[in-house]
Amino acid sequence: MSNRPIKALGETYLTDEGMSFHEVSEVVASVTEKKAPRNWWIAFMLAFTFTGVFGMAVGYLVWQGVGVWGNNAPVYWAWDITNFVWWIGIGHAGTLISAVLFLFRQKWRTGINRAAEAMTIFAVICALMFPGIHVGRPWLAYYMFPLPNQMAIWPNFKSPLIWDLFAVSTYFTVSTMFWYVGLIPDLALLRDRAAKMTGKFAMIRMRAYGFFSLGWRGANRHWQNYERAYMILAALSTPLVLSVHSVVSFDFATSVEPGWHSTIFPPYFVAGAVFSGFAMVMTLMIIVRAVYGMESVITIKHLELMNKIMLTTGSLVGYAYGMEFFIAYYSGNQYERYVFFNRATGPYWWAYWTMITCNVISPQLFWSKKLRTSIPVMFAVSIFINIGMWFERFVIIVTSLHRDFMPSSWGYYRPTAVDLCTYLGTLGLFFTLFLLFIRWVPMVAIAEVKGILPQADPHEGEHAYDDHHEGDAEPALAPGE
Amino acid sequence: MKRAPYEAPENMGLKKIWKSAADRNDAKARAASAAQEFKAGAVGDVVVQTLDESNARLGRRGFLGFGAATAALVTEACARRPVEKILPYTKAPEYVIPGVANHYATLIDTRGELVGALVESHEGRPTKVEGNADHPTSNGATDLLMQASVMDLYDPDRSGTARQGGKPVDGKLFDDALADIIKASRADGGTKLRVLMRPASSPTVVRLRDSLKDNGLQHVRVHAYAPVSDANVREGAKVSFGQAVTPIYDLQRSRVTLSVDCDFLLTEPGSVRNARSFARGRKLMAPADPMNRLYVVEPGSTVTGGNADHRLRLPARDADAYLRALASELGANGIELGALKAAVAGPKPANIPDKWIKVVAKDLVANKGKCLVIAGRRQPSHVHALVNALNTALDNVGVTVSYAPVVDTSDISDLKTLCDDMDAGKVESLLIIGGNPVYDAPGDLAFAGKLAKVKNTLHVSGHFDETSEKCTWHCPMPHELESWGDGRALDGTWSIRQPMIAPLHGGRNEFEIWAMLVGAPPSPYNLVRETFKSSLVASANFEAAWSKALQSGLVDKSNSTQFQASATLDDVATMLGKNKLPTAPIGSGNVELNFASDTRMHDGKHANNPWLQELPDPMTKLVWDNAACISPKTAKALGVASGDMVNLSRGNVTVEIGVWVQPGVADDCVQLSLGWGRTSVGRYGNGRGFDVSPLRSFASMGFVDGAKMTPSGKTYDLVQTQDHFSMEGRPIALDATLDQYRDNPEFVKYRSPTPKTLPLWDRVQYTGHKWGMAFDMNACTGCNACVVACTSENNVAFVGKDQVYRGREMHWLRIDRYYSDDNTYGDNTVEGSDGQQDLPANPPVMFQPIACVHCEEAPCENVCPVNATAHSPEGLNDMAYNRCIGTRYCGNNCPYKVRRFNFLNWRGEMYGDMPETEKMQFNPNVTVRMRGVMEKCSYCVQRIEEGKIGARRDGRTLGGNDIVSACQQACPSEAIVFGDLNDPNSKVAQWHKTDRAYAVLADIGTHPRTMHLGKVRNPNKEMV
Repeated sequence: MSNRPIKALGETYLTDEGMSFHEVSEVVASVTEKKAPRNWWIAFMLAFTFTGVFGMAVGYLVWQGVGVWGNNAPVYWAWDITNFVWWIGIGHAGTLISAVLFLFRQKWRTGINRAAEAMTIFAVICALMFPGIHVGRPWLAYYMFPLPNQMAIWPNFKSPLIWDLFAVSTYFTVSTMFWYVGLIPDLALLRDRAAKMTGKFAMIRMRAYGFFSLGWRGANRHWQNYERAYMILAALSTPLVLSVHSVVSFDFATSVEPGWHSTIFPPYFVAGAVFSGFAMVMTLMIIVRAVYGMESVITIKHLELMNKIMLTTGSLVGYAYGMEFFIAYYSGNQYERYVFFNRATGPYWWAYWTMITCNVISPQLFWSKKLRTSIPVMFAVSIFINIGMWFERFVIIVTSLHRDFMPSSWGYYRPTAVDLCTYLGTLGLFFTLFLLFIRWVPMVAIAEVKGILPQADPHEGEHAYDDHHEGDAEPALAPGE
Repeated sequence: MKRAPYEAPENMGLKKIWKSAADRNDAKARAASAAQEFKAGAVGDVVVQTLDESNARLGRRGFLGFGAATAALVTEACARRPVEKILPYTKAPEYVIPGVANHYATLIDTRGELVGALVESHEGRPTKVEGNADHPTSNGATDLLMQASVMDLYDPDRSGTARQGGKPVDGKLFDDALADIIKASRADGGTKLRVLMRPASSPTVVRLRDSLKDNGLQHVRVHAYAPVSDANVREGAKVSFGQAVTPIYDLQRSRVTLSVDCDFLLTEPGSVRNARSFARGRKLMAPADPMNRLYVVEPGSTVTGGNADHRLRLPARDADAYLRALASELGANGIELGALKAAVAGPKPANIPDKWIKVVAKDLVANKGKCLVIAGRRQPSHVHALVNALNTALDNVGVTVSYAPVVDTSDISDLKTLCDDMDAGKVESLLIIGGNPVYDAPGDLAFAGKLAKVKNTLHVSGHFDETSEKCTWHCPMPHELESWGDGRALDGTWSIRQPMIAPLHGGRNEFEIWAMLVGAPPSPYNLVRETFKSSLVASANFEAAWSKALQSGLVDKSNSTQFQASATLDDVATMLGKNKLPTAPIGSGNVELNFASDTRMHDGKHANNPWLQELPDPMTKLVWDNAACISPKTAKALGVASGDMVNLSRGNVTVEIGVWVQPGVADDCVQLSLGWGRTSVGRYGNGRGFDVSPLRSFASMGFVDGAKMTPSGKTYDLVQTQDHFSMEGRPIALDATLDQYRDNPEFVKYRSPTPKTLPLWDRVQYTGHKWGMAFDMNACTGCNACVVACTSENNVAFVGKDQVYRGREMHWLRIDRYYSDDNTYGDNTVEGSDGQQDLPANPPVMFQPIACVHCEEAPCENVCPVNATAHSPEGLNDMAYNRCIGTRYCGNNCPYKVRRFNFLNWRGEMYGDMPETEKMQFNPNVTVRMRGVMEKCSYCVQRIEEGKIGARRDGRTLGGNDIVSACQQACPSEAIVFGDLNDPNSKVAQWHKTDRAYAVLADIGTHPRTMHLGKVRNPNKEMV
């Protein structure tokens, strides 16, 4: 069914009507070929500055110790792990969009999957910083790897942190592979376009893109291998979408802490991750399509579909919040009860209610078609969700820890300037990488978008279809035609 | 070395040679280039050249010079470091085995009282103080100040040099100056020379002082002063017994104890021995065991009040009225009071509940001959006389109380006489031996101003302190662990103080100064031996008796001078008649200020001890500060909260001080502790807390009324280690009344049950040793000695006020203090809130010591990603510091929150590099943890290993009680036991089997190795 042209299904086109293959190439590839616009430079310098701030904050942290942050006893984890989980969560949308939606043949993913995957990788890079830097003695963080050593000590495979390390690094590796494989035809396109360019750097461009496109010629054999590899990687990535955040949630769920020790965590975390990932994709895409004039490729239709996913996952997350409260009450466990009561009414009530407002209430606006197709509304809501999901992790980590079993040891956590610089610094790093990405790498999957153009369908223009032709709809495209 | 360019003179017949055609044609350029080539001073001017831009080139010679210098420096830098050979002992000092600690018996001064101690010494370096089990004042235990005294020894800010007018001078000059003064004073017998000393407890000092006349100083007046002293107790005793004595209590034999304004469990003398006997009187190993009862009447919140079965909040001033009313009631109940009966008659004070007179009197009468009445040392002398009379009337003397003679029986002048004489210009020279009167003299004496009128002032003290600054001469005084000495404990036990280490900073101790005054050679060793020689005990075989006294830490039977005396009721009655009760009621316009020895600083002596600064006060849990503690009701009426500041004014003195709203304080009373607000003591103590001495009055050192308290509008950061005192109804520190316990001996197990679930895996069977611990909350008085002992034994870092505020204190063992909302005391109303919880007025208190409980199913272990915390085959939850990378996950997952993380490099960052002297304190058997590493109680694993090695060496089996943890050893009330649970005869195994034993938070399924024994209170049904 899905191989039928979209129009036949009574749906609208996923690009502007009448777009040609060449126009797609032109719109996307030219971004990397023209001089960077002034705004790009402003954004880049800003992001790069914050990357420097990140470097300084981490340098100071490593030099002095974790005490430069506000972490204390009992709040041994605070912004560090909040940021870690937040970034991992953001890193979820990419793989979901590219792998899961690919397997479900949601063709609308083509407009956004490249950028979403890039975002995933950069977010995971930001996230992976934290297990390394948040420890007391970062120069020994390699003890977490199963390296043979003369002391014959292995990591503790019972520890969820070890599961976490493996899950996240596996995710990072597979996501990067998946992203890169998808990039190959497009890099070849850039190479071929560079061959026609003149100027000082044309040769360097050609060589560089040529190197990374691995000799792609667009041969039928290449396409066959490519499609197969892409499918396999999609199949590999799909379980990871579920596993990574489930494993991250085990860091909390397998502990004995009230507020952490909960079986709802894996699905709740996955839903939250998808939620926050889509919000971040949305934030980025709205900016990018406005700045680079990509409205024809990333249409309002794409955005609306993403908003629907956010509405769904936001409601799932809201359900989880409610269910946590119910279970805490229903369990009769006084420690659990207190933790949840304290979340909503204790010293951190403002964090809790920020979370509820941003994550549960704001996406409900998307029930209205008018609102979910309004760019300003969806931009505002996506920012809200980003904030709300950060607070969700803050609420889970800090409010649970600050008042647990022993009232004598209750405490309060206050962040320091270094906490703030570290967090803003990761945002700087993320945007630095993302801006470099949109500058040098095709930010929309050109080959895939071409594949969903009506003219890519061999039966385009025919009035009758029969299922005998299914499977013949291979896009017969040469890169850079 | 300057060299002019060689210019070939014209017409010398020499050939001219040019380098190039241009050279030949342009004479100017030639000259310039020649000048450049052989520039004057090419070597010497190198630096100038580089500075002068036009000549910025480095000359050839300069280059070669630089090159050679660089080469020389590089060669030097590559040289081997100078060889510093270390050598083993070729002739080993006797008794020193490297790695094996020695213990020496000595005496330690704590709160002005001498307690026998054993000092652990590693290769000549004292590292830890333990109690001397043979010494009756200690019984092997210590209080917190004794534990901390080793840090006093290594205080980096102790005075290291004599000073004249504040300027460092050679110590010999001080000796000469003192000799000159003595010489000059001899002319008139020393009429204008005065000596100010601390009250003496050393027979040698008394002997020397009494022989001043032999040196021609028969007219020298000696004054004694201590900001906290037993003077009132002695004065009272003089009235009741005709001589100055010290009461010695046997609380174990007392079935009913009434303590009136007396913190006999912590800040009063004899606390170590009192804590033990008190706890023994309420140790319940079975429901049928007897239990004593404690009534406490006090104005402030103290540890003793925290252990009370009934507690009455009463201004210190009204203790007199209460005791008179009680005496009157006792008389009505058939106790023979004689002349006293008329003296105590009078109307019942309005602010004392009837029950507190009638029921308490009934209880005392019912336990006649096995009860006890105690009054605190700050109560006036006639109150002590009355208490002595009551104990006599109740037949308690010889059972629960006996009396020991004091060392110094002479009538010594006081500080006020000295001040008056200084003011009148009668004093030309003043020698102050120890003490710090400029700081701690009561405000109304204006000591500092009068001191300035004295021509020669000499101060001998450990620090160049507030008094030293105002004196013309200062001489450092060695720490007591550095000097020979002797002294009598409260009960008369005579001990020799042995030096543990040669004085780190030189100086003269009090014995040397006294020797100089009397013209004897300044050798404390010989002086003490002489005193010993002249005593009867040693007459038979001097050397043997001397060695025995040194080894055991006391002179045998030297406390046999204790006696039982009956108070003369008539004299007491006369005295009471002379002292009328005050009439103006205490209220918001007439606030009472009461002053006490601070739980940690005592009178300020320990102000520069960072362990004590960081030790939480047992009641307020404040660190690095003191505060004006007021009741919640008073705070509400005044409109202040904890952390606000108030002006306390009395007469023309006003002190601005931070307020702490403390449940349990009497309304309109301000509980103040001495010893804070030092300005010249050192890096840790300067400017910490508030100095309240200016508010004191010499006439009434303990408490004064007539003060005013007004909010000043400012705030002050007060930091606690525990800021939530409500247990939130959780089964954590469990208690019951004696009746409830007898009805249901296993009440703890009902409230904190261990879940019965099918195990998912086989539990580990521990077949060898199985270490365990137990805390008896019924015995624990909350005194904090164990916390300091743990700090000292395990090299636990201190972190400073700011870091404690951030929640990063490092104590492995802490004592949680909870307030109950039970209304056992009858007036536990809720008086407002501190923002977190309701503030009760007079709550029953729970003390719960807790350290790592070494769970068998430890939540911390399975979350550590690197296996840095793991179980030993003996069931210890071990920390491998080398392996720890500091994820802190274990800390999160510890339900007891006993893990401590080195967030920063505590040893280096706090106040610059760690002073060398402080490093000397480290226990060499315990790793000093670096930053980024998690740490926690190890059950003193180093002691376990030492014990195992010793047992293996001696070929014996290690007994279940053979290992003693540091906290257990220090505990004066025997509330902690440690040992092998697999040995059925071990104390810990027996304690674990008692009905009161329970595991804290058992419902998580952690199976802790440390059990707590629930607290049992013994309220009087008629009081409730």
